[in-house]
Amino acid sequence: MELYVAALGFGLISVSVIAIAAVGFTMQFGITNMINLAYGEVMIVCAYVAFYVNQAGVNVWAAMIAAALAGAVLSFLLNRFLYAPFQRKGTNLIGMVIISLAASLMIANILLPIVGYGTSAYQMDQGQLLRWNGLVLTVAQIAIIVVAALMMLAIHGLLRYTRLGKAMRATAANPTLARNCGIPTQRVIDVVWLITGALCGVAGVVAGMNSENFSVASGAGYLITIIAAAVLGGAGQPYGAMIGALIIGIVTELSAAAIAPEYKEVVAFGILVLVMVLRPQGLLAKRGALAAAG
Amino acid sequence: MPSRFGPAVAALLLLAACGGSSSSGGGLGSGPLLVGVLAPFSGADASFGPRYLAGCYAAALSINGAGGIGGRQVSCQQFDTKGEPADAVPAADAMISGNSNLMGVVGCTSDEASTVVPRLDRSQIPMFCMTGQSEFNKSTAKYFHRLVPADSFDTYAMIGSALYNPSHAPYSRVALVFGDDIGSQTFVGPAVAALNKLGVTIAINQAIHLGASSYRTEVAKMLTTHPDVILTETIGSAGTYMKEVKQQNNGKVIPFIGTSATIDPVWFKQVVDAIGLPDFLANYTAVDLRLSLQGSGYDEFLTQLTAADSKFAGSNALTYKGKSPTVHLYDGIIMTALAMVAANSADRTVYNPKIIDIANGVSGATVVGTFKDGVAALKAGKAIRYVGAAGENNFNQYNNSQQGYNLVTMDKDGNEVVLGQLSEAQTQKIIDAGGGA
Repeated sequence: MELYVAALGFGLISVSVIAIAAVGFTMQFGITNMINLAYGEVMIVCAYVAFYVNQAGVNVWAAMIAAALAGAVLSFLLNRFLYAPFQRKGTNLIGMVIISLAASLMIANILLPIVGYGTSAYQMDQGQLLRWNGLVLTVAQIAIIVVAALMMLAIHGLLRYTRLGKAMRATAANPTLARNCGIPTQRVIDVVWLITGALCGVAGVVAGMNSENFSVASGAGYLITIIAAAVLGGAGQPYGAMIGALIIGIVTELSAAAIAPEYKEVVAFGILVLVMVLRPQGLLAKRGALAAAG
Repeated sequence: MPSRFGPAVAALLLLAACGGSSSSGGGLGSGPLLVGVLAPFSGADASFGPRYLAGCYAAALSINGAGGIGGRQVSCQQFDTKGEPADAVPAADAMISGNSNLMGVVGCTSDEASTVVPRLDRSQIPMFCMTGQSEFNKSTAKYFHRLVPADSFDTYAMIGSALYNPSHAPYSRVALVFGDDIGSQTFVGPAVAALNKLGVTIAINQAIHLGASSYRTEVAKMLTTHPDVILTETIGSAGTYMKEVKQQNNGKVIPFIGTSATIDPVWFKQVVDAIGLPDFLANYTAVDLRLSLQGSGYDEFLTQLTAADSKFAGSNALTYKGKSPTVHLYDGIIMTALAMVAANSADRTVYNPKIIDIANGVSGATVVGTFKDGVAALKAGKAIRYVGAAGENNFNQYNNSQQGYNLVTMDKDGNEVVLGQLSEAQTQKIIDAGGGA
């Protein structure tokens, strides 16, 4: 029983990492209609930005801010100079996916000669190991959970209670109508790329902290889980991505405890397939935060 | 006239396209030659490619410095398989179809060997592969060569280290922690068979998904079985796994024994970053192929590896100076080059059989340690045996050659330190228990 409680605790850390990343990913799709397969690589670029800042003697939690900034700027530039021109030309969704895949490969191959083939790890203190009724977590892991919770609350507040959030929801629901109503949709989209890029940056750092070390190759691995969480929750739905992250994070850890580690992804993706069969639009497709602004 | 001319041209083009050999006639020909490094340069096993490339660079410098192969300069080009069979096939196809001057291929790890070896063999390209898969123990591929033993021998050596290493008492409860990929799982079957027969308890046999962001639950589960040693490889994920072992085990690291693939600067850095140098030095041992690393062959290798250092942007080629893949593939390329000179042909079908002759030697052959010495001896009309940077080679009828194992560890700088050797009796006992290769 203790093992399952421990697995539940470990699942919460996975949930936190996946949620930060998946919310950013799904908002990009929901508002800008862009399935950004370069998301995982941007995460890794940001993880390395934080790594070099950390190497310069800055605490990794402070370095996370630099990573968020890098993620915001890189995502903004990626959209402005690569994705948006193609979207303006009317490139269809599949075409845009291929372009983002190309962007992903380009980023990875530009990064490789700079950072090398090896793995990197942050200089950080994981803090004391805390045990409570079977839960086993370090102070740093608890901090990751707190950061994720705060970011989810901030996204909720942004989407629900701010003018910008309403503008985002309006742009997501019907960009033409939003524009006709006087919403500067281009500026909204720019801000979305900045915000989701910052989420991507933070996600890169917490993913690096979570796995203890990371390399250029890690990006592709992260992306699969992020997409799974986003799709499970309902593509384009931030709350759905949070729920998707919760299910995937918890289920993978519990199945590793109950069955065998090699089957944990089989179980998680089996649930994804089942949901897609029973509810192809995902768990929250019709009632998400990015439904039309009220 | 056009009706006869057309088919003739088509036939000529077809012959040119399907020839498969870099030259159809005698003589060494002209123009640059290429060695393809077909290996993972990205993905979970991205650390494999650079160590092979280092060997290739050193070999090319050694050959070119001695005037090339009949004046032909050798260069190296990487072809990234990403460590996935699905990516390896187009990489191999592109390499074969785009380079008629391929003199040989090195790399082809367990990640992709099953798919690329038949292709290379059909195209009649000599290859030196770094796969330990048992399916190549009795390979019938004529162009396949292997200077490393089957993975099962790595496994047996690891068990030997657990039971007979003089630096600790025999371990009695063993955890097997390997990746869930094909390459990693080849270690597991022989290990289970041998450990069961030798009466050693397998505390847990865990197949983990390499590249996962954490293994906390897996580690928690493993710790409940209380092993006193972990046998592992887990390329790319060992740092994550071992850090979580340390965290959950109240700061204590369980001793762990690695395969020969863990004797690697990237693996060393990853694990040291994760658990700290003192815990690494106190708990890590491994097995490695028994290399001579001395004599004129090794001196030349070291000289050329040093010269190749500048080609490694952001990396240090010299970190590979004692690494068996780098040394072995260097030797493989030199042997191939000498075979070409001995056969006086750039036709791969002609010089391929000579590779074994050069490696094993014939009675009365002159022993040479460098390409330069080999060419001089051949020009003097002598038969040669190449004893290179790794020492002697003895290929069997399946084009496999191996030299036994050392029990090793790494020092604070990541250099290999030999702790001892398994006796022949000890090795045989484990091999018999495991059911052979």
